[in-house]
Amino acid sequence: MAALGLRAPRRKRHESLSSWRIRDRVGLAMCWLAGLTLCAIAGAIVLYMAVRGVQYLRPELLLSKPEATMDQSRSGGFLDPIVGTLLLTVIGIAIATPLGVCTAVWMVEYGRPRWLARLVESGIEVVAGTPDIVIAIFGLALFQQGIFSWLSFTSADGAVFGRSFLTAGAAMSLIALPMVFGSTREALEAMPRQLREASYALGKTQAATIRRVLVPAARPSISSGAVLGMGRIVGDTAVVVVLLGATLRIDPSGSLPGVDVLRGTGGTLTSYVYNNSPAGEGNAPEKAYAAAFVLLIIVMALNGAVELISRRAGGSVLAQGRT
Amino acid sequence: MSRRTRAAIAAACAATAVAAVSLPTHAAAASKPTITASGSTSVAPLAFQLARGYLRQHPGRVKFRIAQGGSDVGVADVGAGRVSIGMSSRDPKPSDPTGLVFNKIARDAVCVITNSANPIANLSTAQIQAIFSGTVRDWSQVPGAGLTGTIDIVTRTPASGTQDAFQKIFLGSKTVSSTASAKASNGLVQQAVKSDRNAVGYVSLDFVRDVHAAAYNGVACDLRNAKSGAYGGVRNFWMVTRGPATGPVRTFINWVQNSSRAQAIVGTHWVPLR
Amino acid sequence: MLGALAVVVLLVIALMLTFVAIRAWPAFQHNGLHWFGAQGDVDQQISTMVNTGANPSPADYRFGAWPLIWATILTTGIAVVVGLAFALLSAIFIVEFSPLALRRVLVPVVRLLAAVPSVVYGLVGILVLAPFVGDHLISSDRRTSVEFVIQLSGPGLLVSVVVLTVMITPIMIAIIVEALHAVPRSWKEGAVALGVNRWRAMWTVSVRVARPAILAGAVLACARALGEAIMLSMASGGKGFAPNPADGLTFVFEPLRPLAATIVENVESINAPAIRANVYAMSLVLLLSTLTLSFGAWMAKRSMRRYGVAG
Repeated sequence: MAALGLRAPRRKRHESLSSWRIRDRVGLAMCWLAGLTLCAIAGAIVLYMAVRGVQYLRPELLLSKPEATMDQSRSGGFLDPIVGTLLLTVIGIAIATPLGVCTAVWMVEYGRPRWLARLVESGIEVVAGTPDIVIAIFGLALFQQGIFSWLSFTSADGAVFGRSFLTAGAAMSLIALPMVFGSTREALEAMPRQLREASYALGKTQAATIRRVLVPAARPSISSGAVLGMGRIVGDTAVVVVLLGATLRIDPSGSLPGVDVLRGTGGTLTSYVYNNSPAGEGNAPEKAYAAAFVLLIIVMALNGAVELISRRAGGSVLAQGRT
Repeated sequence: MSRRTRAAIAAACAATAVAAVSLPTHAAAASKPTITASGSTSVAPLAFQLARGYLRQHPGRVKFRIAQGGSDVGVADVGAGRVSIGMSSRDPKPSDPTGLVFNKIARDAVCVITNSANPIANLSTAQIQAIFSGTVRDWSQVPGAGLTGTIDIVTRTPASGTQDAFQKIFLGSKTVSSTASAKASNGLVQQAVKSDRNAVGYVSLDFVRDVHAAAYNGVACDLRNAKSGAYGGVRNFWMVTRGPATGPVRTFINWVQNSSRAQAIVGTHWVPLR
Repeated sequence: MLGALAVVVLLVIALMLTFVAIRAWPAFQHNGLHWFGAQGDVDQQISTMVNTGANPSPADYRFGAWPLIWATILTTGIAVVVGLAFALLSAIFIVEFSPLALRRVLVPVVRLLAAVPSVVYGLVGILVLAPFVGDHLISSDRRTSVEFVIQLSGPGLLVSVVVLTVMITPIMIAIIVEALHAVPRSWKEGAVALGVNRWRAMWTVSVRVARPAILAGAVLACARALGEAIMLSMASGGKGFAPNPADGLTFVFEPLRPLAATIVENVESINAPAIRANVYAMSLVLLLSTLTLSFGAWMAKRSMRRYGVAG
């Protein structure tokens, strides 16, 4: 047709708005309004943090340890809090993932007696909805009892200090548990029954099916659940402030390398931001902004990891399980 | 999970482990006695510096672990024996656990602050009591005020040592008005006064940036006047021990209270004892 | 063995509930049901409890938590209602009407916002919003009209609700967007084939199908709002006052302090028996509210289960 010099009639890409009822037009307008407001607010917050963060962030801050000086705004960095964040996240997830996966597997594959399964489900929902400050005070009171002295250190008089990476990590695992549990359960429930039946038909026991077929197939969901849990751990302030002692640097509890770091106190990026902001007494808001910026970058990296994992899972069993 | 991903995750875990282990370089082979301290967030910066100074002068003797949590937490911790030193920025209360010994280590000035748009030159004790107890409710009734309007009182939460000190030193028998807004830290009080023109509050000497510190009974609130004793609004910092201090704790506290090095450290931002 | 692990998880949770309940008991023992009512100035009562320290007399346990409970209901209720409406509309915008480039940027940004720590939101509240409200929205006449009861500086109901809404909306948006994406395309295409316009197809088909997920998102956001402590302790005004809707527009500016913020401010003194009992009592109230929330959501989900996409 182009050869004839005629143009094809231009078809409208969107239907004409004038054919819509008033109510629908109002709805559309509100959607656009909401969307644009969202862009504006999100943009404002991200820009605010980025500007403040870049303004105050210097590379040596990332690599030097906090200094015990009065003028916090000019000296020292936050290397220890960064390591503290990573350490705490690893501990929390290392405890939460096996617990969450095992509980979800039990719930979906076995699930008897029924009342127990329902109790476990409500229990996990309770934990999901518990404020982190309540988990923190519960953890503090619990880990100051004598039986848990191996988790932190004991003073000369025999009383348990109760604050260490291990205790905070245990509390954090409670926070991350519902995410891992939820994702694993969804993945397992979405798997078609034929998968299990095929495995049984080949002569595998239930335990072997779970171990060799179901859990590996659910791995992308488990990973994304774990990463979601990690995101929650990284951003949590209350548990760290109460259960980690908020010391400037990582203080191991003895001279044994490794284990004593875990039993010692320290800080994380969130407690560092909290202490240096007006809410704490550090009086160094510039460092707080820089640390908050680093925290955001870590969270972005974690979210990116979720994206990658879920995209990789596109060709897995789960996609076939959905209509 | 592909082999590469697995290897990457293993490498990350190993790196974290190595960093965590090698980072605290003071994980020495010989076991040294550890002095543990917890408590007031106002005293903690001073305690950090004193610990560092002590280790510089007497290296290798002890290890320090200084945690924070608030004066009440420090007093309770030392009372229960969880730490060897409790840091407190409030004076001993009758409700504290028995058997505690409060060792004074420094003094700190508390300033009454107003917004920069309201630079009151001087406030007398009577005026401060009238303002904070709510008897006077408008800036127009305060001579020297830079504006008119309702007075917005900013105070601290009940657990605060600064609040305790302010009550005792400035207010005496009067109490802060029930209309006051309670903030949880010095920084938040400073921020509240900075952003509200009608506000008045009190903070530790370090937090008077960007706000106006009023003179108290004619004496300006600064470190020099606090050290010379001219400024009246000065409160005590304590290191609390369970019973009289013994062993390395006693050596440390003696050093803090008597050595010239320690007094020099205290003198940078606080009022030394001598 | 798996069953044993599940039971361990359950035991830990049960331990937490019993522990909190046991420690909270003295507060109810001394106050009875009046604990939930208003027994005078809450801040005064807390102050008494902190000052009596280790040896409180029975009268020191007196505590009437109604102002705090009302503050929690107000902030959480308004934030969730406003946030839900906003999140629903934004999610529809993201899924259906936004240009593709914008969509690719918005979704990661929304997820990022959901993970910003609450201290940062608190900072934004006290550094940006509270001064704005205090300087431009509250007139001095309004201040003098209530000066014998409370102070109207910037932080208060308006600032808390705005920041809280901004905090909980990203979670809801993320969940609703995922749920809308999971609606089978054939269903929407069927509606469009019948001549329904895009907005109406979205609203009557996809949103209706995604209702369980929307409910789940709302419950999650509500739980987060109930438990939000640090931001609210900075931006809500620091006074245990029950805002009174009968005050007209002043109601919006009145200071308040929800339960979680009170807990976090008094954690320091938790070794004093009177404060400890009341802090744990407040925690128990929060725990039970989230329990009731999830139970209510479960009941509602059951009725939606026929056509719903699981949330």
